[in-house]
Amino acid sequence: MPPTELWTRTGAAAPRSGAAAEPVAVPAAPRRPKRVNAKRYLTGYLFIAPAVILFAVFGVYTVGYGLALSFASWNGLAPQWTWVGLQNFRDLFLNDPLLAPVVQASAGRTAVVMVVLPLATIAISLPIAVLLNSVRRFRAPLRTIYLLPFVTSGNAVFYAWRFMYEPDGIINTCLRAIGLGALAEPDGFLGNPDTALAATVWVQIWVSVPLGILLYLTGLQTVDGELIDAARVDGAGSVRAFRHVIVPLLNPLTALLVIIQVREALQSFQIYLLMTNGGPIDRTNVLGLEVFKLAFSPSANLGQASALGWTLFVVALVLAIVNLRILRSRS
Amino acid sequence: MTSTEVIVASVSSTASSRSSRWPLRGAAYAALGLYAVVSGYPFVLMVSGAFKDNREVLTNPWPVPRRPTFETLRTTWQVLDFGAYVGNTVFIVAASLVLILVIFPLAAYAFAVMRFPLRTLFFGLFLSALFVPGVTVLLPIVLLDYRLGVLGTPWGVILPIVNGSGPIAILLLRSYFQAIPRELREAALLDGCGEFRVFWRVYYPLARPALVTVAMLNFVGIWNEYVLPSVTLNDPEQYTLPLGLQNLLSANVVNWNQVMAGSVIIVVPVIVVFVFLQRYFVEGLRGSMKG
Repeated sequence: MPPTELWTRTGAAAPRSGAAAEPVAVPAAPRRPKRVNAKRYLTGYLFIAPAVILFAVFGVYTVGYGLALSFASWNGLAPQWTWVGLQNFRDLFLNDPLLAPVVQASAGRTAVVMVVLPLATIAISLPIAVLLNSVRRFRAPLRTIYLLPFVTSGNAVFYAWRFMYEPDGIINTCLRAIGLGALAEPDGFLGNPDTALAATVWVQIWVSVPLGILLYLTGLQTVDGELIDAARVDGAGSVRAFRHVIVPLLNPLTALLVIIQVREALQSFQIYLLMTNGGPIDRTNVLGLEVFKLAFSPSANLGQASALGWTLFVVALVLAIVNLRILRSRS
Repeated sequence: MTSTEVIVASVSSTASSRSSRWPLRGAAYAALGLYAVVSGYPFVLMVSGAFKDNREVLTNPWPVPRRPTFETLRTTWQVLDFGAYVGNTVFIVAASLVLILVIFPLAAYAFAVMRFPLRTLFFGLFLSALFVPGVTVLLPIVLLDYRLGVLGTPWGVILPIVNGSGPIAILLLRSYFQAIPRELREAALLDGCGEFRVFWRVYYPLARPALVTVAMLNFVGIWNEYVLPSVTLNDPEQYTLPLGLQNLLSANVVNWNQVMAGSVIIVVPVIVVFVFLQRYFVEGLRGSMKG
């Protein structure tokens, strides 16, 4: 038996520690000559080289560059950076009388979105998935329609919603037509500071619900129907069948959806940029959008932009780790 | 019947065939239909707006146009030079997909079946990129594009996009390659095939479903991409479709019928591809969420 086959079969980690360390290996198998190993390693590196080079330049370098810039003051034009230590972070969150209140308010809004977005997505997508799973006819076309918002997510659908939110848009028209004119918004839903955030978050929910439907539908379809029937024959009522067969299956899916949506709430800014650009009077300004504005507005402060961007990254990372821990401890 | 019972019934293999539940099923279809309207109405609105003139689009909010006209689609296509924008967008999408479908399958193959030192470390590094928010690296990317001399060119959009699609592509392809029986590779290697031939002649063709999935997921994302082109492209001749659409909306007087027509032009290719390749898209999303 050739050594190659032995190693791969037994799944030995690295051939270097190879044949000798692996008790399964046939004692007679000759030690692999070093040169052959080196050649095999080289082939491996050649295979990953294009991806690694691209990643080193556009991934590692840009992330590192952003981190360095977080501790500097630079307007993008001056030939040199001025190192300022932690001053950018202090200015952003505490000191700067103009900036800090804006950042604090955006952080508050982002926190609200982080709670509302996952909850609303689950509250809509779970019942829809359950209902869709319970019917026989029209299942495929309905699923296609439900998935459309996710596939087309981009400025085209955002503008369609902006058009619907207009003062004379279809939503106001419908409200007036069914006698609920009191609920109509004369300035449009994005024009009224009190409804703009809710209206924007709703579009974010609308884009996300398909993901939840898909996830729950997959979960429900993997429940063996006969398992439920067997539980029933054994005298289990609906409630018990639900608790012991379905809930354990859906819990990890919900946790996964929460992770994805919390991340989305923390990082997404394109939808805010295109729906409202933070307005009216800053009422839809979220952290991601604030980073974008700090970096790309005429009065750009690139050090502050990087500092806030990095704060987002760290928070996202911590949340991801916490979430994964919870997920693992449950399953 | 409580909600619990509905859920249980929905997965039970026999319950849904009981005909005595028709009022319930009617209610289910009503709820599903209602959300289908919520989900699909913006698309109806786009299409209807694209066939109205600039006055009717404001005065008649209902979906059926009183005086349907092709004029809106025609002028939108011309006024905005959508022909050029389509070309630019297609180029960016095609070049990105070609790179994605060469670079990442190679890496995924190495991570799946080959053994070399630091393999896990490299793989972990790629995965960690999943947690970097796009907005955090946006500014460094623009500065890097400038240094590399690709700022303002399609390549300044393509290269970062390809890099950004790496983690999920590698994750999906790696698990697909791992599921291919090892014996195939071993037999081919024994026959004297080089590693690259094994990859290209055996594994790559076998992974076609996964490759279609990766292509599909990225096609949708790149076609709709707005932010990166908007901060890297200056010359209107290089603009992509989403930027052209944004231009329409920032006009002094917004012609909503043209915005809707432009939206239709952007959305229709995505919907067509999606409807035909839906299976791959769904599989891919499930795969990438598991990872």
